[in-house]
Amino acid sequence: MAKAISNVFKKPTTDQFQFSDAEFEAIGVQIKEKADKIFGKSLAIRELDAGSDNSTEIELNNLSTPYYDVERFGISFVASPRHADVLIVTGAITRNMEIAAKKTYEAMPAPKFVVAVGDEACGCGILNDSYAVLGGADKIFHVDLKILGNPPSPREILKGIRALMYTIEKQSIR
Amino acid sequence: MNLKEVLETISGQKLTLTEGLNNDVYLSLNIIDLQKAIGIFDENSFELISLFCVEDFAEKGFTLFYAFEIPGFEQILILQSTLSGNQAVSIAKTYPSACWYEREITDGFGIEFQGAFDTRRLFLHETFPSGFHPLLKSFKNGKIETAATSDQKEYYFRQVEGEGVYQIPVGPVHAGIIEPGHFRFSVIGETIFNLEVRLFYKHRGLEKLAEGIKPQACVRIAETISGDETVANAVGYCNAVEKICSLELPKRAVQLRTILLELERIYSHLGDLAGMCVDVAYPVGASPFFILREEIFRQNDAMTGSRFMKGIVAVGGLTKDVPEGALKNLSNYLLSFSSRLNDAKGIDSTYFSVVDRFETTGKVRAEILEPLHITGPVARASGKMCDTRITHPYGLYPELKLKCRTHANGDVLARFNLKAKEVKDSVQIIQRLLNEVVSGDISVPCQIKDGYALSLVEAPRGQNVHWVQIKDSLIYRYKVRTASFCNWQAMEHAVLGNIVPDFPLINKSMNLSYAGTDM
Repeated sequence: MAKAISNVFKKPTTDQFQFSDAEFEAIGVQIKEKADKIFGKSLAIRELDAGSDNSTEIELNNLSTPYYDVERFGISFVASPRHADVLIVTGAITRNMEIAAKKTYEAMPAPKFVVAVGDEACGCGILNDSYAVLGGADKIFHVDLKILGNPPSPREILKGIRALMYTIEKQSIR
Repeated sequence: MNLKEVLETISGQKLTLTEGLNNDVYLSLNIIDLQKAIGIFDENSFELISLFCVEDFAEKGFTLFYAFEIPGFEQILILQSTLSGNQAVSIAKTYPSACWYEREITDGFGIEFQGAFDTRRLFLHETFPSGFHPLLKSFKNGKIETAATSDQKEYYFRQVEGEGVYQIPVGPVHAGIIEPGHFRFSVIGETIFNLEVRLFYKHRGLEKLAEGIKPQACVRIAETISGDETVANAVGYCNAVEKICSLELPKRAVQLRTILLELERIYSHLGDLAGMCVDVAYPVGASPFFILREEIFRQNDAMTGSRFMKGIVAVGGLTKDVPEGALKNLSNYLLSFSSRLNDAKGIDSTYFSVVDRFETTGKVRAEILEPLHITGPVARASGKMCDTRITHPYGLYPELKLKCRTHANGDVLARFNLKAKEVKDSVQIIQRLLNEVVSGDISVPCQIKDGYALSLVEAPRGQNVHWVQIKDSLIYRYKVRTASFCNWQAMEHAVLGNIVPDFPLINKSMNLSYAGTDM
């Protein structure tokens, strides 16, 4: 109880987080410019783990933590594939996930884009010979972009998303 | 009394034990004696820590290995029983934790367990045809043909019936950036009445992939078991191989490995602390933990060239040295770490709406700890003195003389507080080691020998078991049992009587790896 009361009189627990990473900032701003035009001010990404070793998920989650906080660039990770513009696939597609992976993609509204993140999803990992996996994401999806790495860092992932913006822009001009 | 005398006293007969290479002791029994032994072991509270099968081990046919942890002994006792065909007897009624292992063996080898109360498939889902058993030596790894329609019946979930009871199916694809798994809740109002977890969506066939490759190359497979347990599994695997090949590691390699192991524990626990705050919708409390974790990732990167410290551990030591400058930076960085952690934790543990959500939520009761072999922080937060670094020390841990931290309550708050303390302990261990690190070689040349050994390692999530057999200088069998494999089963008990919205919080507080379970 004493603790609860003392909270009322305590100084605020939040403080300013000093952040300076000009390069990362620049990538984000470039994405925002493109996404504003292409996707109408917000880019919604749905993540699909089809059989990764969970390190790629951790890096994707990191994009939303204070050091990166990509939501300020209009990028949001959404809860449902029905809200998503982009599907990020991580891990080799396992046989046990094949149906769920396909259903996730089918649930997305068109136009939709697929990005493979991490070596396994890109089809160049160590699992390809296994009976339990189909291979990289391109075994069941049309993959628009591959981001290599084991796992790629948050910065590399963001660079990948920027590259995707340029690719889509070129396509729509044509 | 030594282990042999204890066993002879409780069994009342003379026994022939075979000493293994790494504190593992083997006892060969026929099926009838095995059943008797299991009964006696249960009475003496020996804990089943793993059960696995090897084909054509010493003689033709299947050999089952039952690994037991014995209170007060560093050694692990492994009962070994060779089957005459593909029929075995289930021990799941005595040791409930055997249930998943037996189902796993049935999927992998086609062995049938008489008297098993659950004979559903485990890691082979409906997509795999009947009669397919990937771990048989006769199956050469590669893509298999599957029919367009499955010959498997739909997976059966426990049914709970009654007025007002309804089911909530969740997954395998979840709403956040999380790994896949299916949860079937039976709910009355908002209260969870029953939960059944179905996993193995991420089954990647790692054990089969390991077979027939060079022991040095298999480190990569160990690393990929679970990305955030990279170092723990790599070290666990290498310890086993190094015992088989009787390698003595240089001091520097052992010290650096220990630093990396503890760094892994720090970032993993920080992620949990942050995650628990996120799951009660309190991002202000989560942010400082996320900031600290990101900084640890950057330290990892500076030291090893990988944020998850992949590719640094190798059979015989390390693949490359850690630069002195990086060690110095780490040392400086850690100076202010504990006080920043205290500040971060202070935000949450004094905020009553957070404490209210944490307290009494997701209680793991003490009586399920032993039967299911619950391990790691989940077990320690429920009062169990268990830490592989202390009970079965490896590497540098015998010298470090750690103390086991426990907490009595077993709820989310207990796990939250325990993990915060463990982070501080790990920081202290690292600071101590940074002062003691010697210079010198970081690896020894390795000459691969044939043999087999068991190795235990305390990963951030708890005890991981690695058993490696090398034949003709290649991996013949590599069996891994991660802490998550055991702890997932605690989840089904811990959520009962809680409300559905607390499920993600309980899940996060236990921090279970799907990848590490599904393999």
